[in-house]
Amino acid sequence: MAGGSVSECKEYLFKVLVIGELGVGKTSIIKRYVHQLFSQHYRATIGVDFALKVINWDSKTLVRLQLWDIAGQERFGNMTRVYYKEAVGAFVVFDVTRGSTFEAVSKWKHDLDSKVKLANGNPIPSVLLANKCDQKKESSNNTALMDNFCKETGFLGWFETSAKDNINVDDAARFLVENILANDKGLPYEESNGDRIKLDKETVAAESKSGCC
Amino acid sequence: MAAEDLPSEFDVVILGTGLAESVVAAAFSRVGQRVLHVDRRSYYAANWASFTFNGLLTWIQEHHEESQPEEAQDWSSLLEEGEELIYLSSDPASISNVQAFCFTSEEDEEEEASSPDPPNTTEEETGGANEDVVKETSETESADLKEEETKEKPEERADGAEKEQRFTALNDGKSTVQTDVFRPITQASKTDGKEPGADQPTASAAQSQSEPAKKKISYAQLVKEGRRFNIDLVSKLLYSRGSLVDLLIKSNVSRYAEFKNVTRILTYRHGKVEQVPCSRADVFASRQLSVVEKRKLMRFLTSCVEETEEQRAYNGRPYLEFLCDQQLGDNLQHFLLHSIAMVTEDTPTEEGLSSTRHFLRCLGRYGNTPFLFPVYGLGEIPQCFCRMCAVFGGIYCLRHSVSCLVVDKTTNRCKAVVDSQGQRISCSHFVVEEGSVGTDWKMVTSPPRFLSRAVLITDGSILPSDSDQQVSMVTVPPIAAGCPAVKMVELCSSTMTCMPGTYLVHLTCQSVGSAYEDLSPVVTKLFRTPESHDQENCPSVLWCLYFNMTDSSGLEVEGHHLPSNVFVCSGPDGSLGHEHAIKQAELIFQKILPEEDFCPPAPNPEDIIYDGDNNSSSMGGEENGGAGEEENDGAGEEEEEKKEVLEENDGEEEKKEVVEEEEQSLQTEGIRLQPLETGSGSVGGSDSCSPPAGSQISRRDAVQTPEQHTASTHNPQRESASCMMGN
Repeated sequence: MAGGSVSECKEYLFKVLVIGELGVGKTSIIKRYVHQLFSQHYRATIGVDFALKVINWDSKTLVRLQLWDIAGQERFGNMTRVYYKEAVGAFVVFDVTRGSTFEAVSKWKHDLDSKVKLANGNPIPSVLLANKCDQKKESSNNTALMDNFCKETGFLGWFETSAKDNINVDDAARFLVENILANDKGLPYEESNGDRIKLDKETVAAESKSGCC
Repeated sequence: MAAEDLPSEFDVVILGTGLAESVVAAAFSRVGQRVLHVDRRSYYAANWASFTFNGLLTWIQEHHEESQPEEAQDWSSLLEEGEELIYLSSDPASISNVQAFCFTSEEDEEEEASSPDPPNTTEEETGGANEDVVKETSETESADLKEEETKEKPEERADGAEKEQRFTALNDGKSTVQTDVFRPITQASKTDGKEPGADQPTASAAQSQSEPAKKKISYAQLVKEGRRFNIDLVSKLLYSRGSLVDLLIKSNVSRYAEFKNVTRILTYRHGKVEQVPCSRADVFASRQLSVVEKRKLMRFLTSCVEETEEQRAYNGRPYLEFLCDQQLGDNLQHFLLHSIAMVTEDTPTEEGLSSTRHFLRCLGRYGNTPFLFPVYGLGEIPQCFCRMCAVFGGIYCLRHSVSCLVVDKTTNRCKAVVDSQGQRISCSHFVVEEGSVGTDWKMVTSPPRFLSRAVLITDGSILPSDSDQQVSMVTVPPIAAGCPAVKMVELCSSTMTCMPGTYLVHLTCQSVGSAYEDLSPVVTKLFRTPESHDQENCPSVLWCLYFNMTDSSGLEVEGHHLPSNVFVCSGPDGSLGHEHAIKQAELIFQKILPEEDFCPPAPNPEDIIYDGDNNSSSMGGEENGGAGEEENDGAGEEEEEKKEVLEENDGEEEKKEVVEEEEQSLQTEGIRLQPLETGSGSVGGSDSCSPPAGSQISRRDAVQTPEQHTASTHNPQRESASCMMGN
């Protein structure tokens, strides 16, 4: 899951999924993280596949993070394989003000694990986001409960986030990327995909256009 | 995931997620139509789907079960005055004669190998002795073979020259040693598929003989590594200059897929598999062609690019005759007819020449053969279009069907559909897969045709070479009179369609008999199976599947006994390319929206930036300008947000932007996201998305209009292949 090294600087491209029930703030989190923006108003996600965030991780590492939103229209839970394939990390988001969205978390996690795996067969690292924490009514402390839930369902960890007040969004992302990088370093490249072809307007093979004549 | 009711009004409802339907869905959604796309199956892509090994076993099982005809519910209560119902067929029987066989041991070999088994040694000794008789080299070579196959290391299998030596050695000596005998498991072989008594003793004895010699991948391993398989129901390739490749590029749907070159064209001839030289380099490098043949072939290929008087003289006469008269010799004639034109002996010359030209045109665009194959299998392609549809607002529901159409008696138009939940959903147009239309409603001009398909999992390539990662297109001319010509595609593990150490082989032909009758003779000739003889040098079949599929290439999109706004998409056809489905999809789109552009390029997400506090809408110079008003009969007001995004495609005429609640709006070429009323002044994009040095504007024909001067086109340099996702 990584690009070649350009001189000493290593460049990575990571596909990260952002999933969860309708209206939990997936798009808002992405916008906050990538574009430093927040809008009160809800709107289903149209015309955008993913948002790109470029992170200068350290002096030797550049990370290009593609955050893949589910199209709001896939809300019946039937995502195409295109969405899942070759993802290396995921955020599962729920809305702290709506219990039902938390109940759906295990369903989403299960769906995720069944559809995408790392090259070595392990589940991809995932982080649980308890979004809209700014609107949380009771300040009940359920840290232990959540920790336990993450352990049981296979999340690396969880964060209380607010896309609106910009709480913890960056931290959660950093936490996930750390884990993805750790995975990446630990795993040998399974095969060289160098000869895969992207169809692109510019792509023309090195060979002259008429092979035969 | 939550179960909700669907909206009750759409512009287009589409039933079936096959290739043509999915392209239609993407095309409509892309220009702002409200699309509902459903499939009664639990998976995408209908008969174009690909499955993991375990998924395929489930599919097999489903096709063995007696399908219960769903009792048609009576939805006439949903009718209003002047309406009537047309019930759709709930049981499209497009798949038949499904037969699966397992020719490998069921259990993990470690366990079995560890158990001491006296007869083994004896058999092994006898085997060795027999082999001695055969030829000296053959023994050493087959020892190599054993060693090679024990190890899984690909590099170990690489020595091409040695392989070739072995090939001849074993061919010459008529080795009668049974190094391996397989145990067939008939029908939907599940793990519990036990053999009936009679064969059991011989089979297991034979099996134990072979164990020390060969460590074959067991059935249990296939199941365990099942997710590494992506087994397509149809076997096709993309012509590098074919209409599917053009459409993928034009629409930017290509961003969802990656491809592998087909690395070589092979053919089966005189009992041997040979490589067909097709590029200039191949011709010169070819060892099986004489110098004279090379010159003749080059001359022929050069000459047929343009139509000549001489060629026209042969119009209507068989291509074979034309080739004969070119004095090319048997070798070249075979290559040209079967592997390059891929036609039969009685195909007319003009058709043969046009296939030859198409082949030649496609050479060299991406590689040395004309063909591409999608990484993860062909089933990806319809899903790529579905994702595009969803990204532009299309709603997707699997395990969901349309039970009937509500037809206005006076206008004979389909006003609405009733879904499998009994919900009435209005629509302006309905597009349906062929299988869901009952035969009474269809106008069928030709008798039904079928395709015969076989899928094999093998343990080696059909023509070993110095790389074990070849993707091969193999043409097998009729092996006897009356037999069909077979197209075969051998996929290696780097196409992500099979587990390392195996190959996935697809065979396809027009049906003469059942798939098993048509294809098993070819399989027996080319591979080692329990029925094959003297095939020690051939790869073994570990597992295989045969089935027939309806070939609906003769079906028209309209002209059926259906309302005028209902269009039918046919399923997969027998040709190698995808022209049929793409043509159909485009035709349907143009019939419904003649003014609209078919699949204009979608904005590239990496090109989208936020553009500070610029609140006004500035249009990208749009190449498809002037697309006119949307013919959006029945579009509801609540959908304006979506239309707004798309109306911006209307080019020059700068539409006043409906300032939406949220900050994004997209343009096709000068793509940007604009923060609107929230107007947080920061130019988030350029900070956070700064591309590596050397960013360039690479969009085709991107025309910068004055309005675009705010430098909204922000194109991070496109990733080189080595940086693409998944590397």
